[in-house]
Amino acid sequence: MSTVTETKPLRLSGSQPFTQQPGVFIMIGERTNVAGSPKFAKLIRDGKYEEAVSIARQQVENGANVIDICMDEGMIDGVAAMSRFLQLLASEPEVAKVPFMVDSSKWEVIQAGLKCLQGKGIVNSISLKEGEEKFRSSAATVLKYGAAVVVMAFDEQGQAATYEDRTRICERAYRILVDEVGFPAEDIIFDPNILTVATGMEEHNNYAVDFIHATRWIKANLPHAKVSGGVSNISFSFRGNNKVREAMHSAFLYHAISAGLDMGIVNAGQLEIYEEIEPELKVMVEDVLLNRRPDATERLVDFGEALKAAGAGTTASEKKAEEWRNGTVEERISHALVRGIDAWIDIDTEEARVKLGRPLAVIEGPLMDGMGVVGDLFGAGKMFLPQVVKSARVMKKAVAWLTPFMEAEKAAMAAAGLEIRTQGKIVLATVKGDVHDIGKNIVGVVLACNNYEVIDMGVMVPAEKILERAREVRADIIGLSGLITPSLDEMVHVAREMERQKFNLPLLIGGATTSRAHTAIKIAPHYSEPVVHVLDASRAVPVTTSLLSEEGKADFVAQHRAEYEAVRKAHSAPRQQTVSLEEARSRRTPIEWRAEDIPQPAFTGVRVLDGFPLATLREFIDWTPFFHTWELKGVYPRILDDEKQGAQARQIFAEANALLDRIIEEKLLTARGVYGLFPAGAIGDDVELYTDNTRSGILDQLHFLRQQANREGSEPCRSLVDFIAPKETGLPDHIGAFAVTSGVGLKDLCESFRAAHDDYNAIMAEAIADRLAEAFAECLHKRVRGEWGYGCQEHLSNNELIEEKYRGIRPAPGYPACPDHTEKGAIWRLLDVQANTGIQLTESFAMWPGSSVSGLYFAHPQSRYFSLGKIDRDQVADYHQRKGMSLGEIERWLGPNLNYDPAE
Amino acid sequence: MHGHRGDMTTPHQHPLQKILEQRIAIIDGAMGTTIRTYGMKEADIRGDRFRNSKKDLLNNGDLFSLTQPEMIGDIHRRFLEAGADIIETNTFGATSISQSEFFVDDPREHGGRKDPAFYQKIIDDPSLADLAWEINEQSSRQCREWADRVANDTGRQRFVAGAIGPLTVSLSNSPDADDPGFRVVTFDQVRIAYAQQVRALIAGGSDLLLVETIFDSLNAKAALVAIREVFDEDGKELPVMISAAVGRGGETMISAQTVEAFWTAVEHAKPLSVGLNCSLGPDLMYPFLEELAEKADVAISAYPNAGLPNPLSPTGFDLEPADMARYLDDFARGGLINIAGGCCGNTPEHIAAIAKALEGRHPREFGAALAHHSESHA
Repeated sequence: MSTVTETKPLRLSGSQPFTQQPGVFIMIGERTNVAGSPKFAKLIRDGKYEEAVSIARQQVENGANVIDICMDEGMIDGVAAMSRFLQLLASEPEVAKVPFMVDSSKWEVIQAGLKCLQGKGIVNSISLKEGEEKFRSSAATVLKYGAAVVVMAFDEQGQAATYEDRTRICERAYRILVDEVGFPAEDIIFDPNILTVATGMEEHNNYAVDFIHATRWIKANLPHAKVSGGVSNISFSFRGNNKVREAMHSAFLYHAISAGLDMGIVNAGQLEIYEEIEPELKVMVEDVLLNRRPDATERLVDFGEALKAAGAGTTASEKKAEEWRNGTVEERISHALVRGIDAWIDIDTEEARVKLGRPLAVIEGPLMDGMGVVGDLFGAGKMFLPQVVKSARVMKKAVAWLTPFMEAEKAAMAAAGLEIRTQGKIVLATVKGDVHDIGKNIVGVVLACNNYEVIDMGVMVPAEKILERAREVRADIIGLSGLITPSLDEMVHVAREMERQKFNLPLLIGGATTSRAHTAIKIAPHYSEPVVHVLDASRAVPVTTSLLSEEGKADFVAQHRAEYEAVRKAHSAPRQQTVSLEEARSRRTPIEWRAEDIPQPAFTGVRVLDGFPLATLREFIDWTPFFHTWELKGVYPRILDDEKQGAQARQIFAEANALLDRIIEEKLLTARGVYGLFPAGAIGDDVELYTDNTRSGILDQLHFLRQQANREGSEPCRSLVDFIAPKETGLPDHIGAFAVTSGVGLKDLCESFRAAHDDYNAIMAEAIADRLAEAFAECLHKRVRGEWGYGCQEHLSNNELIEEKYRGIRPAPGYPACPDHTEKGAIWRLLDVQANTGIQLTESFAMWPGSSVSGLYFAHPQSRYFSLGKIDRDQVADYHQRKGMSLGEIERWLGPNLNYDPAE
Repeated sequence: MHGHRGDMTTPHQHPLQKILEQRIAIIDGAMGTTIRTYGMKEADIRGDRFRNSKKDLLNNGDLFSLTQPEMIGDIHRRFLEAGADIIETNTFGATSISQSEFFVDDPREHGGRKDPAFYQKIIDDPSLADLAWEINEQSSRQCREWADRVANDTGRQRFVAGAIGPLTVSLSNSPDADDPGFRVVTFDQVRIAYAQQVRALIAGGSDLLLVETIFDSLNAKAALVAIREVFDEDGKELPVMISAAVGRGGETMISAQTVEAFWTAVEHAKPLSVGLNCSLGPDLMYPFLEELAEKADVAISAYPNAGLPNPLSPTGFDLEPADMARYLDDFARGGLINIAGGCCGNTPEHIAAIAKALEGRHPREFGAALAHHSESHA
């Protein structure tokens, strides 16, 4: 992108809103297009509209963001079919939530479609084919109905096939739409014609290349405009050979998305990952697409004839009996709970039920007694969190066994006024925009173990849903969790809503970025009831117990309020001393720029790693944080020999490794990554990235912030930009970026554990996946240092890697050196992260799936991590200009770093 | 269309736009529930003119503008004197389609059904078209007269909003359980009916057009298309206000569209304001209004019902003037609104209380003004 201003996203709606996310490819489902799906065409011809609707539903389920609807076929009455089908979809809530693309070459069909859309859809398409007057009036009509529009690169002379014609026609259409019709530029989507290659006609050989170049030109020269295309056209020559076609689609998309393609009409259910294409096939496909050799078509045709594949695998498990099995049923249940053994719990529970006569008696008797022992041991520090979670798993299984019996008895029990007594109901949720689950799950399990009823609403939960549920279940406490900084604002929002809606329950705040100070200063003042920060899961129980205890609450609340008041007082002390932005810039990290410190990488551009071997990653795992997850505080491997926690640590370490063995063997998780190195130069506090080593075309920009606060004496005011050679030095420096995940498959794995009432292994799997993602980042960084030419001679052990004894850094947007999460958008654009790895960004710029890591690479020997700290108004004003985002937005994203209150 | 396409706001800043940037403008309360306090009977609404009408007319409140203009004028006057900057015409159901409910035999009573063929006859019926025109034009004139009179007396400009209601039919829903694809009426029929209403409202002297109580976004889009076409054909544009009615989940009540999705779907009309009215009482409306205010960079309006229906109350609704004033003041202090008033259950006394409570309150900042200030509100 050559512009500094942010491109406006495409915004659409069905019954739900849809906003284009930076760097995220929009998939338009093609199966409800009579040209794209013979099955759909037949259903429509036969009048089987209900079945046709189910195809639309599958498209949405398969992840299509928009669905394309086309009825252009000789045997179909287009106007009637379009209207009827859209009206049916309007009555299908799961489908009606997405925006629709009304696709026809007949204007009357498009108009009929527009009259059925309650949201903002897309018209596909209009063009200059019949001259400017018709084009203008069509565009004005589309605008009148409130839709975005696809514009084909077509004019009075015909369809544009060359690069020159494609760009010339698109520019002409853009000028008419923007200058004369007043069409919003961000709602213009060009389709510069994906035409079939490998037809045997030599003049068709460059079609894919021309499309890709035209796409890049449009994105660079027509501000805010989008680019789309019907991808399956590219491979029409290979009809009947799906293997080759899918490889062509995926390789073509890979290159076109890198050039800026925003969306495409694709079969959302079958998109191969670029890196999964067989290497030989990939070469041949790319030879064709990129027009790399004259015999490319023949070679691909021959190769395509000879392709097949297969594979399978299974596993098993075992058990054995022990001495404790000889005790009474109560003893056995207690033992099973304390030791977290679930092998016999069904049998024992059933025996207890028969013995005690009623399922409730089992719960209120041996099960609660056993959990009481667990709670006491945990409270006394004699049991550790992982054990408690395992106990909960056993408890859950026992209750699951009893549930059918209790339901059978329910009416009678209700009449008798008997219920499972719970100490209180707690609604837990990770707030809107945030995907981090693991800490909240642990808190949930610990609370459940202590006989609280926990309603866990999962992740990304909007305020109104949380409050609605709290009201519905008459919750006693609400607990909010979040890991990334934007979640802090969302927590403030929830607190304000609770105040406004006159809630009178305590609010608990937890999660990695939350703190006692933030809770006291930013959240608690918005809500009259107690708002308590909970440092970790082990504190959840005492806090909850105090808040819900009739005798203890008043004292606890009084003490809590006094503490928070003290925190606020301490904080309202004078703001931090800052230097002006101008001075800060004059005190940048002192680096003497020398050519020998600027290594030249072996490649530039983007590389994808799919299905990266987990066995390799295992070698790179830093285990210390794994123990912290389980609230065992200490450093690996010393913690294994710790006097107090050692036995527990050894056990979870063994169990983690056993699960990891299984994950690796059964390929339960997949690791995917993408990284790239780009020619770069620093200009002020920005880094310009160039399209190639000529450094003439600007690919993108990164924006950095500089330390301003508490820089005493001559201490430098650091910024990450300091570690990239300034453009004026003339030194050919580079910057790198990466995104990796090991979370592919994690959701299914955790769900399968949870379905078996095994929260312990679900949390274990999440903790392992997190470690693998970090290990992946470490492993990839090592590889990149090698490829960058300065890390070959390192010979560092894993420990030395963990201690970051190597040259270069990999800071992540959202972390202390560059706290602005929105810079992840640039990484997503540069690396096309979503298409290459499947990692998505949420509205708060969290990565989904959660076990993902991204960041930037800096190679200079003096590059180092630091914490930005507080910044002042002058820098924020400068930064919002540089980023092209509104001041308010920037202040929101940088809230914790502001040395002032934006409201003042 | 030729040449530049105009916005729905006139090229020069409309005087109301200026007011919305400076203070919270007040829109009036409910016509229907206020009429109820006058104790009108079936004979009163019929007058001489509709003496022999076959169906009961008492619920066709728009007709009062023709048969009891003094009462309607009195209500307009009371709202204006209560402090309303904007009064609405009494034309919520003044389209041929809605009027047909009161003047045309329901085919369902004779084993038939309402379908596009039935509504085509309604659209083609000159007597219904004339009646709809007359109500809209007359009501606009009556409002115009009172608005100008009170404006002269008080030295404060008042505005007439031509009220365009949601219709009695839906373009998004099928009444036929066996055929979810069926619609009783077509988009073009709805568009034509709305276009007639829009022309008559403009002819009678409305300053603004208010597409309100939107249950069904597709009906509203048909109204917006009609408005655009009337503007283009007649060469005159008025500012447009848009207001949706949402349910407890924050979705439009018939077409189940969320607030942000709705705004995305109507933003192209470049309205002067967008907002929420009717349906939910003010307390339940708050989060959805907040969401709308966050997404839409135009003026925001809110005129909720006076709480939930309560048959024991004289207006039929729960909240007293002081309650409404307190709730709307909450909206104002939350920095959410530029236009405030009431819908069902809000009498002139309610509006007076709201106007008083909001005096001196800052309006929500939007558009250019917003870029210079932080959005957070201490």
